[in-house]
Amino acid sequence: MYSARIKTALIILLCATAGILNAQQKITGLKIIENVYNRPAPKDQTGDLTMTLINSRGDTRVREIKQYVKDYGKVEKKIMFFISPADVRNTSFMNWSYDQEGKDDDQWIYLPALKKVKRISSDSKSDYFMGSDFTYDDLGDRQPSEDTHKLLREEEFNGEQCYVVESIPKEEDYMYSRTVTWIIKDKWIGLKKEFYDEDGDLLKTLTIKKYENIKGYWLITNSEMHNVQKDHKTVMELKNLKLDTSIPDRQFTERMMRRGL
Amino acid sequence: MKKICKSYILLFLMLVSVSAVYGQSANISGYVRNYTGVLLTGDYNYAIIQNTFNLNFEETKNKVGFKVNPYVYHYQNRETEYGLRQAYLDLYFDTFDLRIGKQQIIWGKADGVFITDVVSPKDLSEFLLRDFDEIRMGITSVKADYYIGNNTFEFVYVPVFTPTRMPDQNSIWYPAPQFSPNAEFDYSQSEVENKLSNSEVFAKFSGLTSAIDFEIMAGYMWDDDPAMHMLRSVDPVTQEAGLTVMPKYHRLGLAGGSFSTTIKGVVLRGESAYYNGKYFSSADPDAAEGVTEKNYVQYLVGLDYTLWGVKVSGQFIQKVILDYDETIVNDQYDNMATILFSKDFLRETLRAELFSYIGLNNSDALIRPKITYDLADGFELLIGANIFTGDNGMFGRFDKNDMAYFKVKYSF
Repeated sequence: MYSARIKTALIILLCATAGILNAQQKITGLKIIENVYNRPAPKDQTGDLTMTLINSRGDTRVREIKQYVKDYGKVEKKIMFFISPADVRNTSFMNWSYDQEGKDDDQWIYLPALKKVKRISSDSKSDYFMGSDFTYDDLGDRQPSEDTHKLLREEEFNGEQCYVVESIPKEEDYMYSRTVTWIIKDKWIGLKKEFYDEDGDLLKTLTIKKYENIKGYWLITNSEMHNVQKDHKTVMELKNLKLDTSIPDRQFTERMMRRGL
Repeated sequence: MKKICKSYILLFLMLVSVSAVYGQSANISGYVRNYTGVLLTGDYNYAIIQNTFNLNFEETKNKVGFKVNPYVYHYQNRETEYGLRQAYLDLYFDTFDLRIGKQQIIWGKADGVFITDVVSPKDLSEFLLRDFDEIRMGITSVKADYYIGNNTFEFVYVPVFTPTRMPDQNSIWYPAPQFSPNAEFDYSQSEVENKLSNSEVFAKFSGLTSAIDFEIMAGYMWDDDPAMHMLRSVDPVTQEAGLTVMPKYHRLGLAGGSFSTTIKGVVLRGESAYYNGKYFSSADPDAAEGVTEKNYVQYLVGLDYTLWGVKVSGQFIQKVILDYDETIVNDQYDNMATILFSKDFLRETLRAELFSYIGLNNSDALIRPKITYDLADGFELLIGANIFTGDNGMFGRFDKNDMAYFKVKYSF
C-alpha cells in the first residue's frame, strides 16, 4: 500500500517534471520574437551613429549622424542631425512613429539650403537608408504579428546558446520572402539574421559584432549588414550612448531641427 | 574695386584667424564650385562661366551663437561679386530666441514659388536659375521667436527696405523693355529713404503637429518690385509725344497662411495670401501715371507622392486681381503649375531630376532636367539644361536662352 502511494507520487512528479520540461521546450517562435520585441529598452537615448558603406572594391563612404530618441509610450520620437558628408551637414530629420496599427509615421526634413522644415511622405519601408544596406524596415521595430514565426532549432553560435527562428511575412509582395534569426537564449538579442529575397535566395546577412549592457539594457552597438548578392557591406556603429537622461520634449521640435547641433 | 577686394580678403583672413584661435570648437564649412553654361541657340555662346567660393563660419556656445557667410562669385568676363549672404548673432533663451543681423528668412510651404515667402528679397540677376539659397538675399533684420510647445510665434522687424535684385541691362536675363524706345527713365523716386517710418514688419504664428503643419502670417512691407509710373508729355515746340517712366516702390500689406498634411502617404500642401495695395500698369488713359491700385489674391495647392521610387510633386498656382478692370495690363487670372520628378540610383549617389514651371496663360514653360552624381563624399558633378518654351509670358520671353550647363562642386 505504502509502496503503491510512493509509486503514484513518483509518477505524478515525473509527469509534472516532464510537463515543465516539455513546456520549456515548447517555447514558440512567436514567443521568442515577442521576447526580443519586448526586451527592456531605455525611455530615451542619445548617440552618435556612424555608417560605413563598403563596396566590393573596398571603397568606403562614411555617414555620421547624431541622434536623439525618446519613447512616449504611444509614440516614439526621433531626431537626427547629419554631420557628414559635408554636402548634407546641418540637414536634420525628425520621425514620429506610432504604436497604433496602420498609422503611418510623420516625417519632416530640414534642408539648410531651403531653410525650411518640410513635411515628407513616409519613406517606403523597403527603401534603403542613406544608400546603406539597411532598409527603413531593417532599422525599425517590426511588430511580431506581421510575420509567422517558427522555431527551427537550437544551436550554439559564436559561443552563445541560440534559438534559430524563421519568420515568414504575412504580407504578400514583402521585400523578403523569409528571414532566419539567431537569438541568444537568455538575453533575447538577435545575434545574426539572414534575409532571403523573393526568389528564396540569400540576399543579406546581418551580423552583430558588439552588444553591450548599459544601465541594465542590452544594446547592439556594432553591426554589419552584408548584401551577399552585390557584395556590399554597411557597418553601423553607435557611440557615446547616453540612456535615460530625460531628454526634454523641446528636443523633438521644429525649433531644434532649424537650430541643429 | 581694389579696395573692396582688399576688404574681403581681410575679412577672410580675419575669419580664418579667429577660427585658428577658437580651434576645434569653431565650425567652418562651405563649398567651391565651377558653373559653366552654354547657350543652345545661335553661336553657342557661353551663358555663364562662374567660379564660386562660399564659406560658412559659425559657432554656438550655450546661449549665444553667430554665423557669417561670405561668398565670392568670380566670372570670366564680368566683374567679380563679393558679399555677405548672412552675418548674424543668436541669443537663445528657454522659450525665446533672438537673431539679429543679416539673415535669410524663408516662410511658406510652396516650392519655387513666392506667396507668403516675402521677407527675404529675391536675387533674380539670373532669373530663377540660381540655387534656392542663392536666390534669397539676406536682409538685415531682428527676428524674435517665442515657442509654446510645438507652436511658434515669430516677429520680424526690417529697418531698411531691400528691393528685388534685377538682371543688369547687358544680361541675357534682362527682360525686354515694355516701353517705346524713346521713353526716358526718371529714377528720382526709385529709392526708399532709410528712416524708421519706412521699416517693414512681419508676424507669423506656426504649428507643427501630427495632423497638420500650419502658418498664419501678416506683413506690412514695401513691394519688392517697383510700379512703373508713366508721365506723358507733349513737346511744346515739336508737338512730339514724350514718355517718362518713373519706377516707384509702394507699400504693400498682406495676410496669408499655409498648411501641409499627409493623407494616405500623399503630402497635401496649400498656401494663400491676400495682398493689399499693389500697383498694376494700366492702359486706361485716365489712370493717373499709367498705374492703378488693386488688391489681389494668390494661392497654391500642391501634392507630393512617391510612386515606384520616383518622387513626384505637382503644384497649381493662381493669382487673381480683385475688382479687375479690362485696362489692367496683367491678366485677371494668372495660372501656373510646377511639376517635379526625381529618383535616386546607385545608393543615392546618382540623382535624376526634372523640374518644370508651366505658364498656363501663355502656354510657356521652363523645363529643367538635371543629373547629379556624387563622385566622392562631398564632391558633386552636375549636368543639366534649362529649356524655355513658348513665345511670350514669364518663360517664353527667354525662348532664345535655352542652355546646357555643367557644375562641379566640392563641399567641405
